[in-house]
Amino acid sequence: MKLKTALLGAACALSFAPAAFADRGTDGEVKFTFPQAVSIMNPFLSSGTKDVYAASLVLEPLAGFDADGVIIPKLVTEIPTLENGGISADLTSITWKLLPDLKWSDGSPVTADDAVFTAAYCMDPAGGCAQLSKFDGVAKVEAVDASTVKVTFTGPKPNPYTAFVGALSPILQKAQFAACQGAAAPTCTDPNNMPIGTGPFKVTGFTVNDTVTLAMNENYRDPAKPAFASAVIKGGGDAEGSARAVMETGEFDYAWNTQIPPDSQASMTAAGKGEFVVAFGTLVERIEMNMTDPDPALPEGERATAKHPHPILSDIKVRTALSKAIDRQILSDVGYGAGGKPTCNVVPAPDAWASDNTGCIAQDMEGAKKLLDEAGWVPGADGIREKDGKKLHILYQSTVNPIRQDFQALVKDWWTELGVDVELKAIDPSVFFGGDAGSPDTFQKFYADVEMYANNSDGTDPETYLSQYQCVNAPSPENQWQGENMNRYCDPAYDAKVKVLTTTVDVAERQKIAKELNDMVTKDSMTVIPLVHRGTLSAHSNTLGGVKINAWDSEMWNVADWFRVK
Amino acid sequence: MLTFTLRRLLLAIPTLFVISLVIFLLVDLAPGSPMSEIPLTVPPDVRRKMIEALGADQPVFVRYVLWLRQFFWVEPATLFDGWFGTNWAGGEQRILSWQSRAPVFTIIGQRIPQTLTVIGTAYLVGILIALPIGIYSAYRQYSLFDQLGTLFAMIGFSVPTFFSGTLIIIIFAVTLGWFPTKYDTNLHVTDWASFVKQLQQMAMPVMTLGLANAAVISRYMRSSMLDNMGMDYVRTARAKGMSERVVVLKHVLRNSMIPVVTVIALGIPSIFGGAIITENLFGVNGIGAALIGAIHASDLPMVQTLAFIFAVLIVSFNLIADVLYGLLDPRIRYD
Amino acid sequence: MFDAATAPLVQVDGLKMYFPIYSGILRRHTGNVKAVDGVSFDIQAGETLGLVGESGCGKSTVGRALLRLYEPTAGAVVIEGEDIAKLTPEALRRKRPTMQMVFQDPQASLNPRMTLADIISEPLIEHTNWNADRRLERVYELMDAVGLNRRFANRFPHEFSGGQRQRIGIARALALNPKFIVCDEPIAALDVSIQAQVVNLLEDLQEKLGLTYLFISHDLSMVRHIADRVAVMYLGRIAELSPRDALFAKPLHPYAEALLSAVNEPDPSLARRPRIILKGDVPSPARPPKGCNFSTRCPKAFARCHEEKPELQEVEPGRHVACFLYASQTGSTGTLEAKEHIQQGEYK
Repeated sequence: MKLKTALLGAACALSFAPAAFADRGTDGEVKFTFPQAVSIMNPFLSSGTKDVYAASLVLEPLAGFDADGVIIPKLVTEIPTLENGGISADLTSITWKLLPDLKWSDGSPVTADDAVFTAAYCMDPAGGCAQLSKFDGVAKVEAVDASTVKVTFTGPKPNPYTAFVGALSPILQKAQFAACQGAAAPTCTDPNNMPIGTGPFKVTGFTVNDTVTLAMNENYRDPAKPAFASAVIKGGGDAEGSARAVMETGEFDYAWNTQIPPDSQASMTAAGKGEFVVAFGTLVERIEMNMTDPDPALPEGERATAKHPHPILSDIKVRTALSKAIDRQILSDVGYGAGGKPTCNVVPAPDAWASDNTGCIAQDMEGAKKLLDEAGWVPGADGIREKDGKKLHILYQSTVNPIRQDFQALVKDWWTELGVDVELKAIDPSVFFGGDAGSPDTFQKFYADVEMYANNSDGTDPETYLSQYQCVNAPSPENQWQGENMNRYCDPAYDAKVKVLTTTVDVAERQKIAKELNDMVTKDSMTVIPLVHRGTLSAHSNTLGGVKINAWDSEMWNVADWFRVK
Repeated sequence: MLTFTLRRLLLAIPTLFVISLVIFLLVDLAPGSPMSEIPLTVPPDVRRKMIEALGADQPVFVRYVLWLRQFFWVEPATLFDGWFGTNWAGGEQRILSWQSRAPVFTIIGQRIPQTLTVIGTAYLVGILIALPIGIYSAYRQYSLFDQLGTLFAMIGFSVPTFFSGTLIIIIFAVTLGWFPTKYDTNLHVTDWASFVKQLQQMAMPVMTLGLANAAVISRYMRSSMLDNMGMDYVRTARAKGMSERVVVLKHVLRNSMIPVVTVIALGIPSIFGGAIITENLFGVNGIGAALIGAIHASDLPMVQTLAFIFAVLIVSFNLIADVLYGLLDPRIRYD
Repeated sequence: MFDAATAPLVQVDGLKMYFPIYSGILRRHTGNVKAVDGVSFDIQAGETLGLVGESGCGKSTVGRALLRLYEPTAGAVVIEGEDIAKLTPEALRRKRPTMQMVFQDPQASLNPRMTLADIISEPLIEHTNWNADRRLERVYELMDAVGLNRRFANRFPHEFSGGQRQRIGIARALALNPKFIVCDEPIAALDVSIQAQVVNLLEDLQEKLGLTYLFISHDLSMVRHIADRVAVMYLGRIAELSPRDALFAKPLHPYAEALLSAVNEPDPSLARRPRIILKGDVPSPARPPKGCNFSTRCPKAFARCHEEKPELQEVEPGRHVACFLYASQTGSTGTLEAKEHIQQGEYK
């Protein structure tokens, strides 16, 4: 609550104090610190947020998202819609009109060819483009004229704002990257580290995994911006050190990703040099239920596959009881402080897309016990519930991470109180998320009863995200254990609804369907137990004005508007 | 001595080959994959293509041979070309970091200066503090000074740098505001003001590491001095009527330095190795930070190359320490 | 041999050397190792005093304390009229040339990182104002004197054999023309074949240079060969101090008697004395017995021996013994012999 008020206050101060805006380059240097250093300035070759955010100071997409997740034009005159004719009636193409007189930082004009090239660059099969999914369903990108880009899709595309939209899909300069397409992409060290862009800043120096120095772009489209003459991004260290450098010593203006324990947050805020801001995107820490039997006695190839339903968790009463026993508010407070809030949704934001499902927030231990009794699991002599001589035993895995281990311990206490015998397991994150089909410990193989990790939807529209829970996406030996439906949740009704979503154009209707899908995997089936809606905690100095935290695009989406508070 | 050195150098070649293979296999077998760094929002087929573009899907043997070729031919040739404008490398692929797609040796080149400056200074400061403490502690064994020296060494030994470093930050940066907490790698010393700035930003990491280094070396110095202090030749020197200064600084110290110099020489590769925790804590971003970053990101070419360079340095400095020993101690001859 | 008219070169009076023992967490001073506990003797100029005893009896400590290589706990060491034990460090340093030491282990006593020439000339730099040529000349002189080839001047100690090293040690000791030399087991670390050479060298040098020796050794036959008088030590105290011949002919102190019974008699015509085997171990010098230090093992001990410590007394001209057997009489040999017979009978 406090944070929201603070944010509102900052926004008000901004709108009432236009005098605070200086001319271009009059406010000196703005200093960023990232706990993970920047490796590369080309978002197409890196999926690391640190790299994408750093690049967003330089490279820009045609359109981006504002703090509320609403699409806004950046390099184009307006957002193409069905109404203005920018999107074809059959939903198979979208046409963007570039701003007139747009220039790269080297002074050359930005043309539609640059966008065409960017698409070709990312879609090259040998390039290993990290943002290839942004070009999903794109049939061709063409330059209608020098300032008009037309993207044609293979079929109707209800959400065409993927290619060239958001910090993950910026426009590269064709002249600079022409020789870097395909297999040559990774070897173009200089362009990758010092790309020429249209953003408010240009790169003047780059040391890998250390420092990026930037100067204002003389050719930026708004002659009054940016207020800062230069910028520097220093990387490395840890979240604590980054936060300290802003909040306690005041050496830096902005620290991204300063997720530190709640008590440290409070003591650093007390120093009075800066404030923490939280970007609540769609990241949800959740417990996923395994709907298949991970019993090691089963033959390899059948273990944890749809052939063998889970002997305990197949019963919705058990799943519901496990969810009811959890106090999400405590988890959020202990783990994330201001950087988290309890949730019952897999799609927790934006508000328009989030279900009003809050039934799980209040802990209900008695209700949970009753459910287990009903399900036939009765307490045995040792306090552990049994049914047909079988103990209620659950293997609960997650990654090695202090907060997750705290969560595991807390949840284990609650479940033990419920009469469940809980076994904990923590796996190295690089193994857990590594996707090695040969390892038994990947989150896809899911050789456990429940597992906990965090996942999010990419952008505001959760279509792709929700479609992960279709039957066909279950990891199995047939697809080398790839696939995002970790639970092996399989409901034909869900698959059918996803199909409807992919063809629905009307946003309100899409939002309604998304909420229904969200409810199906959460409160209706209890396949996924969302725990905490996690934000990205960042810190900025009190002397830095204009910051509007944004979870839907780069946090530096409006860096051109930032200024020094005097 | 020369034949000994040559023989050892020859012997080092197969040793290093074996080491390189072992490192490669260990790094490769270690759990984790570059995929784990890719966000979950990236679909599996895109991930697979990214891995293919890195060449990470090739069999380990192929990658090892490629790496050998790159390390022993392409990289030296590129270096040579850079100096003399020749074209030996012929534009062949250099060793590229998977994480940043930049040549590994370029990254190392960027990082060596701050590592050598900061870690090297810390080592030097550590030695300069340690020697007098060790000498005087031994000379006045069990005195108050010796007890304080022991306490100092115990603290330096047992307090981990992440703790002492944080403490130093809180005292000197947060409370006193004397020093910056983040090292500015772009600072170039051109005049007095920038030199002062450089000293300020080096102060805290040097303190942190200097304490740890001084602790270790002062103990070696002290025990070596004690070993020699009781020797008959020291008694001889006293009997000769030499002054205490000559007895301690000439007779005892010179003999005590032999093992200490060896220890110091053997510690030098660790300067190049950087200090993983301290570098991270103060944002020095030297070799140590590069290594830990590469390990986190499963950046195999980077980890492999750094680990192998450390192996080369360790083997070399072992040889140097042996040769030094021979030079310093006339009793030792390698024939 | 004994000329009372001239003052002795070295006078030792009540010399005590205690090494403190610290123990416990706080390292409190809890006791002392009484390595030397009240030793007195004189050495005449030109004389060789032998100091014998088992390992650990404190004889080397006496040698070192004498030259103040240890700080004596108590007592006086007067050499040429100056009390060494009370000199200031600087005065002591200036006094050093007068008194020197030859150490037991020639390997350990030479600085391994210095050449022979450096080792010998170092004291010359300190105590003379000679130039380098003059010093080198002296080094050569000394090398000749101890029988070392001049070519070896720039070699390091480890390049020499044991005997040669001991010659270096002697040359070094001689460098400043000392009057008094403590020879601390100078031959113990050498091969038997070399021992005689070194002892002969020491004797020759004594003759040529008029040196005074304190010859510390556990090798009784060597002491018999070189010493004029001999002091027998047991557990930090002198048991007997007698002229050589008298001692070897007829030791008075029961400990000296036991010790000498172990010596091979070189003259086969003389009857070999029966060997006296002592029982028990030497007590710890940190906790010596209440009475006579030898009382725990003495075959002739009686009640008084366990109560009081006997002082060294002259019981025959030139013969000093610390034993209550001789406390009340001044040498009735008959009684002594009678007693001896009984003892031998008992201990056969």
